[in-house]
Amino acid sequence: MSRRDRDLDDEIAAHLRMAIEERMARGESRADAERAARRELGNVAHVKEVTREQHAGLWLERLGQDVRYAIRSFAKNPGFTSVVIATLALGIGVNAAIFTIAHGVLLRPLDYPRPEQLMYLTAESPVTGNTQNALSAPEYAEFRQMNRSFAEVGAYETGGAAYTTGEVNLAAGDRPLRARSISVDAHLLKALAIQPEQGRLFTDEETARWTGTLPPPIAMLSHELWRTAFGGRPLVGQKVEIEGRPHEIVGIMPAGADVMDNHTQVWLPLWLHPNMARQRGSHVLYVIARLKDGVTAKLAQTELSTFLENWGDHAGTRDHVPTNRPLRPTDHSLQLRTLQDAIVGGARRPIWVLQAAVGFVLLVVCANLANLMIARAASRRREFVLRAALGASRGRLLRQSITEAAMMSGAGGILGVWLADAGVRALIHAYPTSVPRTSELAIDLPVLLVALALSIATALLFGFVSLGGWRVRASSMATALKEGARGASGGQRHRARRALVIAQVACAVMLVIGAALLLRTVYNLTRFDAGFDRSRLVTFSMTLPMGSGEPETRAQAYQRVLDRLRSVPGVLGTVAMSGLPPNRSPDAISTPIENYTSDDGRHSEIIDYYQFVMGGGDYFATMGIPIVAGRGFEPTDNASQAKVAIVNETFVKKVWKTQSPIGQRVRPPGWTFGANDDVWHTVIGVAKDVRQRGVDRPAGAELYVSLDQHRVAPPSMNVVLRTTLPPAALSGTIERVVREVDAAVPVVRLRDMDSVFAESIRRPRLLAQLLGAFAGLALLLAALGTYGVLSYTVTERRREIGIRIALGAARSQVLTQIMRQGLQVTALGVAIGLAGALAVNRLIASLLFGVQPTDAVTMAFVIATITTVALVASCLPAWRASRVDPNVVLRDE
Amino acid sequence: MPQRGLSRIELLQGTLDLIILQTLRWGPRHGYGIAQIIRSTSSETFQIETGSLYPALHRLERAKLIASSWDTSDKGQRVKNYELTAAGKKQLQAERSRWEQLASTMATLLNTPLGADS
Repeated sequence: MSRRDRDLDDEIAAHLRMAIEERMARGESRADAERAARRELGNVAHVKEVTREQHAGLWLERLGQDVRYAIRSFAKNPGFTSVVIATLALGIGVNAAIFTIAHGVLLRPLDYPRPEQLMYLTAESPVTGNTQNALSAPEYAEFRQMNRSFAEVGAYETGGAAYTTGEVNLAAGDRPLRARSISVDAHLLKALAIQPEQGRLFTDEETARWTGTLPPPIAMLSHELWRTAFGGRPLVGQKVEIEGRPHEIVGIMPAGADVMDNHTQVWLPLWLHPNMARQRGSHVLYVIARLKDGVTAKLAQTELSTFLENWGDHAGTRDHVPTNRPLRPTDHSLQLRTLQDAIVGGARRPIWVLQAAVGFVLLVVCANLANLMIARAASRRREFVLRAALGASRGRLLRQSITEAAMMSGAGGILGVWLADAGVRALIHAYPTSVPRTSELAIDLPVLLVALALSIATALLFGFVSLGGWRVRASSMATALKEGARGASGGQRHRARRALVIAQVACAVMLVIGAALLLRTVYNLTRFDAGFDRSRLVTFSMTLPMGSGEPETRAQAYQRVLDRLRSVPGVLGTVAMSGLPPNRSPDAISTPIENYTSDDGRHSEIIDYYQFVMGGGDYFATMGIPIVAGRGFEPTDNASQAKVAIVNETFVKKVWKTQSPIGQRVRPPGWTFGANDDVWHTVIGVAKDVRQRGVDRPAGAELYVSLDQHRVAPPSMNVVLRTTLPPAALSGTIERVVREVDAAVPVVRLRDMDSVFAESIRRPRLLAQLLGAFAGLALLLAALGTYGVLSYTVTERRREIGIRIALGAARSQVLTQIMRQGLQVTALGVAIGLAGALAVNRLIASLLFGVQPTDAVTMAFVIATITTVALVASCLPAWRASRVDPNVVLRDE
Repeated sequence: MPQRGLSRIELLQGTLDLIILQTLRWGPRHGYGIAQIIRSTSSETFQIETGSLYPALHRLERAKLIASSWDTSDKGQRVKNYELTAAGKKQLQAERSRWEQLASTMATLLNTPLGADS
């Protein structure tokens, strides 16, 4: 028993004693006096209990009361409560979802030790617009030697040259599967500071010795592939068939290990064809470097800049070395950026745009809720004034209203986080490659903290808005009690509600303009002529094992596949090509050209794309690419000893300018497509430009070579069929044909060309869809806000309207008046929104294609949409106003 | 009926607090004394359950509006005396004017003829 309890007992006992003594003094018997005193005091145990509560759980007790009271008032208004919670859940949900992405993708450090030390080195050709390019092998070697800033410099390769596609065929048991691969050197693994989970990493010896015709047959597997494809059984030291060759698995990577968000499953030793390793024009290596401790990125940049001043002197050549002043199309410079920046790169702006958009959505949500709260506060004014009269303090009332708001915000926040989690999952599932670093995305502590902060902020906002509506002051109590009887009115409150609606409309206008511009962008990208006819084209890709066959046998195998597919009913044409437009990686191969001298005195030119085609006679017809001069490949070329080539318009502009290209000669290196020698090819025709690397990127110089003439083929080819059938109807046939030719080869990426296009514009499409959804949400909320405030006006002015109608005002006049009010609010909102949009729209200018951020048509469309929505939202209240029956209204008064 | 008792304490909270403060205006008193004064001065109009007095006293003490001390009564008994603190005096002033205002407005309100409310 505590001291306080003892004191309380004593106090009550003293009370009873005094009461009894007094009664006895008045002449009552002891027994009567005791009974009366106890009756007067009440249940002693209960009195003590209640008294004790005053000390122990006062705060908790009041909170309990507040919560109980809040639940009771929620239960009385289930509609109101669910609208508030649902709106909050949406507002907090979209913010938490986008912040999950912003945090997980942009802000969270990379999963390497000391990630801030990692830098990414790229080649930039500003004149041609070719940015974030790879380095040539000699440049890489020179930079490794020259630099003093970096503890380690490593390189990797995922694609680009004909021999690597970033994917390999892999035999797990008897099942062929296609796995994403990367070729890395030992330096790179050291730079990233990755430790193997099992086994070992590659050694310098294994990755720097570029001789022979094939890389050493060793590989590492990702933890995930080892688990899923091999069931996690011991594999280190064993052989696994990769690209038809048995490879020794030297190690297993730890879970989550990756390079540049490549989703790597198979790690192979970096290996370059000896010819390519000497080529300064072949930009094939991506370089990642780790700064030495204490060296800043700025210092490294300065050092690099010094190297660029006289790189040629160090390298002992003038031919195609990086420079500080890349003025000509052939020049390039080197640039360092943080690895995080390089990975996130293009996603940064879209994500911040989305974050800003959901911020606006939250503002609209808050405005809507504030509006609801003001309306409700008005109707609860009487209740609160009564409570104040009965002794509830102002603080207590504020606490009550904040408790209610906190409970709703809390519920909204929890629902919102749940929504965000579901949303992010759905997004990653639907667009696995549109956002970088998605494999690491999760709702983690920072996201929860942000959601919590949003909930608390909204709770405080409502609490105060509500209290502001009550204005409980002793002096105004009588007025409040009287007013309360028929619902409070107040010009100030009404102005506040109008201002909130105007703000909502303004936010909605900005969002809708942004969404409309991006939708136009997607539409433009979809409709953009990529240079070939993509309707009714079906494509798939296949890779013949590099180790098991010679280039000649591969060519025969591809030829068999093409021949068999050609005889399928419904197939009009079948061709194969090395790079599938409109989204392939560039080759950038230095190509000798006869009678040609470049600005810097070389007799060759960097050709952006090599296109090796099979079924050459049909190629341009099947792809629907117009030949603008000369002729296309013909079957008669196949037997001819004179090798021929076709170039595109950009090639002509770049090399021969006004000269006729027909009859000129070029010499593509044989190693690029599996031939042994470099031979001169005569240009026989010019094809229209085809967008190769995204429809929104300018076309590069392109060279078409017919493999039918050479009878060799690179390992990977893309087959394209012009057909009246959908891909689904063809898949069985294609699988069978490929299996007949080589049972170990999987058919991958079977789809129609429209899907390839959709894939190539997936990021703007995703951005437009999300922004569209947010804009729709904001628009809906703004419409609800407009409707709410007009309804309120009509209810409030029923009497006035009734009198006017009684005095002879036409119902149509009343209707117009209310509609006009709605439109006034909207017009103000639109004006502010337009101004805001013009101020910030240049931020999304870089995300647009084929449309200006100030596009008048879009603006007009948005204004029309918002006005229509406002008209619809005003309709019902206006109609209700015009239906007011003066008899009823005036009798009510 | 514990539940009913509790709700009555809550309902009268503001009023009872004010009455207690007013009672202590003239100097320290113990609980029984306060109950006595309330009963006699209100001519038994207020049927204040004596049981609700102690929770109110302890609440006011916790709010530092009153302070308590143990003392020995003239009959040699240990009793707990309560007295107003400075904050309590201020609170009493404020509450009093609030109540006077309410009472007068209520009176005006109740005396206004029906229907003439604007």
